[in-house]
Amino acid sequence: MLLAQVLLNGLLLGGLYALMALGLALVWGVLNIVNLSHGAFIMLGAYATYFLFTQAHLDPFLALPFAALALFVLGYAVQRGILNLVIRGPMFNTLLITFGLEVVITFLAQLFFSADFRTINPVYAGTNFDLGGLTVPQVQLMAFAIAIGLTLGLWAFLLHSRPGRSIRAVSQNLLAAQLYGIEPRRIYAVTFGLGTALAGVAGGLYGTVSQINPYIGTALTAKSFVIAIIGGLDNPLGVIVGGLFLGVAESLTALYIGPTYTDVASFGILVLVLIVKPTGLLGRTA
Amino acid sequence: MNAPLLTVKNLRAGYGEMQVLYDLSLDVHPAEIVALVGSNGAGKTTLLRALSHLLPWQGDVRFDGHSLQSLSPNRLFALGMVQVPEGRQLFDRMSVEENLLLGTLAGTARDALRRNLERCYGLFPILAKRRKQLAGNMSGGEQQMCAVARALMSGPRLVMIDEMSLGLAPVAVDALLDTLRLVRTQGVTVLLVEQDVHSALHVADRAYVMESGRIVREGPASELADDPEVQRAYLGL
Ligand SMILES: Nc1ncnc2c1ncn2[C@@H]1O[C@H](COP(=O)(O)OP(=O)(O)OP(=O)(O)O)[C@@H](O)[C@H]1O
Ligand SMILES: [Mg+2]
Repeated sequence: MLLAQVLLNGLLLGGLYALMALGLALVWGVLNIVNLSHGAFIMLGAYATYFLFTQAHLDPFLALPFAALALFVLGYAVQRGILNLVIRGPMFNTLLITFGLEVVITFLAQLFFSADFRTINPVYAGTNFDLGGLTVPQVQLMAFAIAIGLTLGLWAFLLHSRPGRSIRAVSQNLLAAQLYGIEPRRIYAVTFGLGTALAGVAGGLYGTVSQINPYIGTALTAKSFVIAIIGGLDNPLGVIVGGLFLGVAESLTALYIGPTYTDVASFGILVLVLIVKPTGLLGRTA
Repeated sequence: MNAPLLTVKNLRAGYGEMQVLYDLSLDVHPAEIVALVGSNGAGKTTLLRALSHLLPWQGDVRFDGHSLQSLSPNRLFALGMVQVPEGRQLFDRMSVEENLLLGTLAGTARDALRRNLERCYGLFPILAKRRKQLAGNMSGGEQQMCAVARALMSGPRLVMIDEMSLGLAPVAVDALLDTLRLVRTQGVTVLLVEQDVHSALHVADRAYVMESGRIVREGPASELADDPEVQRAYLGL
């Protein structure tokens, strides 16, 4: 029973992980940028949701669309203003710039929000219900459902809508996309904005299940990276598998080895994957 | 004769310091098939890249009266000037149908999309059978059909095709040329850039011969095909 409970907790956490990684994988696949500031945008989404909850008294789940919108605008602007300068440049330059961005965002967050830990605690925060003997925490379940729903939604958007198809076109053949009326710079900015908007929602959900402070970004970037490597960049469904896998692996590690070893487990998995199948387990990476 | 659809006057272009095209001029009239032939490295692909604004250039180029100097690639596409690039450049990991859909202007209504798809499937029935297949998994001939069909999806006025015959069996080339003849009767103008001089001169109304970035001969295709100098240099006769 304990094992089942731990697996359930791992799956619930894994759904959220998948959503965190989704934006990173999307941007990586289309812009060929490994965005090292991805976690910093997750952190900003968490604070946006936190302030909407505490200052505007908005239910945190209702605050998510606003956090997403704010992060979309921010990401679009960052891409247009900064990243367009290095796009298609050497990988090293984009890593350096996004690393710098992460440092700046984290510094500003610490300046404006202080280094204090915060939690987003709606009245129903402690509510659980029982499912055949297992305890299902309501907030975690809602976060899971939203995360999986958004991931599937993105998948449908990329596959079936005109803008989604244009995004894939740019990532598959830049020359042909240009010849057939697509403006790559616009697509890059929209895609980066989508990536940060997804990060924003993931951050808001993270804040409802975990404590936040300005420094949470780095570890979350790293976890997103692990999941993108496992799941590949082609397909949001791969990211779901990668996220659930990581969530379960971390929960099992916490149970059998100890809660302080969960990060060791995720990076152990990364190293293993890179050794066994550097192109990603489920699909193309870079 | 009516006004040209495409006029190129004194076009100069190149890559950085290296100039490739020198004061190149040519005209293409509505519903004509014009061949542009020349040996490797003559600058044919460079010309098409410049015309699609993928390269900076100088000179005077007009499409249907509009000066092209200030138009972005997507404006040109919207005006009805499309290109089938060298090497086909399909979206390899998308289905045939998605490739075709990407050949249309953004905002095209659903029923217009349907009609255009049906028209292209009518021109290339094999593509209808392969509509769900990934473009990258098809044979070279099928891929070239898909590339030409994608270019026709938007109902363009001018189609510029680069090296359509490269690597294809003669029957496949003949089938594609027949299709071009057919769409020409529907008002589509064709600029055919070819190394396969024989078939290009066979199907074209007029032709230009290009060498080292300059036009060296021009005239009715049948005259050029009979010209001893052209025969010696390009037809191996
Ligand atoms: N991207 C590039 N950068 C620099 N030089 C280039 C580039 N592309 C082509 N060139 C040069 O420009 C010249 C013309 O090349 P282009 O591709 O236009 O020839 P082409 O007539 O299309 O030849 P082919 O029949 O082999 O396709 C060649 O000397 C080539 O080396
Ligand atoms: Mg060429």
